[in-house]
Amino acid sequence: MTRPASLLALAMLLAPHLAGQGRADARLAGRVPASLAAAVTALLDSAALHGLPGAPLVDKALEGVAKGAPTDRILVAVRTVFDQLDAVATVLAETGNAGADAVEAGSFAMAAGLTTSDIGEIARTADRSHPAATALLVAGTLAALGVPRAETVALVRATIRSGRPVGDLVSLPGQVQAAMAGGSPPAAAAAGLARAAEAHLAPGPRGRGRGQGNPHKP
Amino acid sequence: MSREFHPLVKQLLDGERTLSSLPPELQAEAEEAVRLLGAMDRRDVTFSSGLEARVMQEVRQHAAARRVRANTDPVLWRWLTAPSVPPWVVGAVAAAAIIALVIWRPGSANDPVAVAPATAVAPESVFVKFILFAAAAKRVTLAGTFNRWDAGATPLARAGDEGVWTVTLGLPVGQHQYAFVVDGQRWVVDPAAPTVDDGFGRKNSVVSVSLGLGRVM
Repeated sequence: MTRPASLLALAMLLAPHLAGQGRADARLAGRVPASLAAAVTALLDSAALHGLPGAPLVDKALEGVAKGAPTDRILVAVRTVFDQLDAVATVLAETGNAGADAVEAGSFAMAAGLTTSDIGEIARTADRSHPAATALLVAGTLAALGVPRAETVALVRATIRSGRPVGDLVSLPGQVQAAMAGGSPPAAAAAGLARAAEAHLAPGPRGRGRGQGNPHKP
Repeated sequence: MSREFHPLVKQLLDGERTLSSLPPELQAEAEEAVRLLGAMDRRDVTFSSGLEARVMQEVRQHAAARRVRANTDPVLWRWLTAPSVPPWVVGAVAAAAIIALVIWRPGSANDPVAVAPATAVAPESVFVKFILFAAAAKRVTLAGTFNRWDAGATPLARAGDEGVWTVTLGLPVGQHQYAFVVDGQRWVVDPAAPTVDDGFGRKNSVVSVSLGLGRVM
């Protein structure tokens, strides 16, 4: 065995001991006050227990510190993200979409103003060609543009059900923004696109037909 | 050619005002400013087909140079590579390490670093150009989820004399939140991007990148 390999083995032996002493997530080390790091690490442990992604929690803590927010306010913000992830994971599990990317996208959509009910509706409409993560990402972006919840959900669902390619779904925020640049309010822009998608609905090789929903979901 | 916009119009471009909050006499100027900003080239950046080959050639040359350096220092190289521990010791140490991992950290299955799948680096990236109009700024940086909100990590470059600052980044698939930091103090949203509340009383800009389809926004 070479010396580097020996050192590696020694490091493996010592790593658990050293890590146990710190009890702070490595991503927070040196950038977050110790008390905040400990609290966020506890939330990360809890997130891991629940199968939730931890990166959004770390990101929110780092963001708060970078912006000079008080520690207690940062912790509130991190807990809010945790609660959003947990709520989204629960509703997505009911729809058969439990992937971490979908959970993160759903959490973003909630931060943008959608509710768990909206997220459930969108996730139930998603299919193999239009994954829930992509649909929620688009929905969150539409909401962030100022499109009201009802119009956001209606537009995303109509586009998926129309059987149009996923590229059409992804292009929706750009289309809404273009209409807004032309003077159209966000709600009207989204409603117009939803009507166009509804008009595209028709039984056939691409469109699944109005109200048929997702054949892959219960 | 250079044009100086009214301070209120600059605040609009910085995302600190809405168009409707401006006085009527500034509406035309503001719309012109927004139009100019919107006319900028925000297309995803595409590199030439030979770039990868050139980069890999540089990497191979660098690796070859390191091998040469290692060969020119045989004493150090021999120390690093020479067998120093009998094989049975290796087995014992490895077994001890595994046992220590199990015994020392009974909760290690809950370790967020070890089990958080969402932290995996996405295999695909899309190049996105960020643009801010900040004529009076001396320094503009970009902080966001893609650089762990490090306000010093991603400086923008001034493009010409018009007060336009730009940077192009390769972003992995997913949703990213960010803000510009002007002169190290002022957090400014991207006026051309959607925003969400940041939980700290401000807004974050949003850019979403979808797998194989480029930028959602």
